[in-house]
Amino acid sequence: MNNEIKKTVVEAVDLKKTYTVGKIPVEALREANLRVESGEFLSILGPSGSGKSTLLNLIGALDKPTSGRLLIDGVDLSTLNDNQLTGVRLRIGFVFQFFNLIPRLSALDNVELPLSIAGVSRSERRKRAQQLLEDVGLRDRMNHKPAELSGGQQQRVAVARALANNPAFLLMDEPTGNVDSKTASEVMALVKKLNSKGVTIVMVTHDQHLAMEANRTVKVLDGVIASDMVN
Amino acid sequence: MQARDVFSFSFSAIKLRKLRAGLTILGVVIGIAAIVALLSISQGLQTTITNQVEKGVGANTLVVTAGKNGFGASGGLSSGSLIPSAPTSLSGTASAPILYLNYTSEIQTLSPEINTVVAVVQQSGFIQNGDKVIQINGGIVAVNFSEYVNTYGDTFKAESGTIPLNPSENDIVIGQRIHDPEQNGTIFADINNQVNVIWTNTTQLPYTNQSYTGTVVAVLPKIGGFGISGPSDTGVYVPITKAQSFFGTDEAASIIVTLKNSDNATITSVSKLITNYFDNQVTVTSAADVSSTISTLSSTLNLFLGGVAAISLFVAGIGIMNIMIVSLIERTREIGILKALGMKSRTVLAIFLGESVIIGLIGAVVGIILGWVLSNVVALGFSAASSGITLTPILTPEVALLAVGFGVCVSTVFALYPAWRASKLRPVEALRYE
Repeated sequence: MNNEIKKTVVEAVDLKKTYTVGKIPVEALREANLRVESGEFLSILGPSGSGKSTLLNLIGALDKPTSGRLLIDGVDLSTLNDNQLTGVRLRIGFVFQFFNLIPRLSALDNVELPLSIAGVSRSERRKRAQQLLEDVGLRDRMNHKPAELSGGQQQRVAVARALANNPAFLLMDEPTGNVDSKTASEVMALVKKLNSKGVTIVMVTHDQHLAMEANRTVKVLDGVIASDMVN
Repeated sequence: MQARDVFSFSFSAIKLRKLRAGLTILGVVIGIAAIVALLSISQGLQTTITNQVEKGVGANTLVVTAGKNGFGASGGLSSGSLIPSAPTSLSGTASAPILYLNYTSEIQTLSPEINTVVAVVQQSGFIQNGDKVIQINGGIVAVNFSEYVNTYGDTFKAESGTIPLNPSENDIVIGQRIHDPEQNGTIFADINNQVNVIWTNTTQLPYTNQSYTGTVVAVLPKIGGFGISGPSDTGVYVPITKAQSFFGTDEAASIIVTLKNSDNATITSVSKLITNYFDNQVTVTSAADVSSTISTLSSTLNLFLGGVAAISLFVAGIGIMNIMIVSLIERTREIGILKALGMKSRTVLAIFLGESVIIGLIGAVVGIILGWVLSNVVALGFSAASSGITLTPILTPEVALLAVGFGVCVSTVFALYPAWRASKLRPVEALRYE
């Protein structure tokens, strides 16, 4: 979380993704070019079917581009096999619309999960997970299961989990899409606070107002980047 | 991800669905319990039989019977054949080969390895004490007491009274179940009783019952088991001199040869010497022969029962596969999350295999315990139903290890496909799965 030295965390050059639905090829993304520097708070805005989800999956290293170059934290995804792609995801902090916590694990265990995947020792990850939950204001909810938490609390657990491995950036997919407006503003306040502390944030949304909360907004339309402007 | 963390993640998934996991484990338990119970019972049975056979025949004992048709085929089928090479050929006009009492001294000279030779005359009959009569199942056995003691010192000994080495003609030694037929304290005959030994003479028509009165001088201890040769619980023992006068015969039912060594080479070479001496007109049986016949039988049985148990384990395996596939579908989204968080495919594979290994392990351990309990219950029932033979099931560490290995193997093999499918799920699609 060093924003003194500017570092490119995402770099997309002529990024193209084509899906084949039945026998018809569908161009979900056509020649997208994008650059995200560390410390930025960027929103990717677009209606459904615009290709923003495809862009999210690519930036999240969940999928590989059909052509073009994509560098995540300096690593070129096109040269990686599936296993190596998985390794890249350890450097990305996912926050999903539906929280996607593991229901049978407590908040603490959920936050520990990415640390355990990364092979961090038990005592160390416990300490770190407790600190992260404290940072998002859930100190007294650590041992609760997701079902025992409100939507806003679940999303805060998800944010804590995303931050666990000190990722290059947080990748948020409609982070307020599944909570009420009051909770939404709380979540956004947390996101902004994190950004002010130097966490790079890429937020994908279809909500114009939400997108304006970011420092910079990239609009995706019909598989191309229609505009890229500082708010 | 560390192995311990993979394991605890697997375990948390099992704990979530206790009933389902329990039922799957039950499938493994039944399969393993069946295998363990069958193996430990049959191993116990084999040991019991071997012990009983060796007790009955003696490891260093050969039983010579007339005829060449195997054990107990005294009425040989080679009709009209004599025993030509027997030097004191008294075979006379008999249509079947006959063993005579005085062959003992000839056999004795055949090999320096031979320790004792004793001829046994045996007839069926009844014994009467007062107004009660019982059948002698073990037969009226006429032997030279001192030679018989030499041969069967372990079993032909007095529990009460004394076995006279130079008996008078009317001395009688009875087996434990002639003494107390029901083994419940109701004594039929005891030492110093005057009893009637009754023999039905079937060698000439009309059949006649012959009897004489003798004195019980000794009661044998409980021997149990398979009286293939040697003393039995249901036998009545009379001096050999009585046989000649009472039965009026020189014919031996069998000749028991004991050897100085009980190794296979000695047994084989002496057996061969005896058979050759009688020109293949006799059969020589050793404890090893009987045991090996029984072993062959019981291992065939083992194979069959093992096959049945293996089928139940196979069914359990299909159960595991089924539950793993259901679990895989239910947890598609979870797998997507894990992969999005950076979990490698092989770790996902390990988590799913871990679950099935846990199921297999628990199933195997519980199955071994249950199988052991089961085999003891069966053994108790067997011991109660069969008079005198106690069956002790044997569970060797090898069998226990085999069972654990089997349980884990089956559960792993059947989980391979679901686990592989889980590991191959693409995160984008898995995350979208509702």
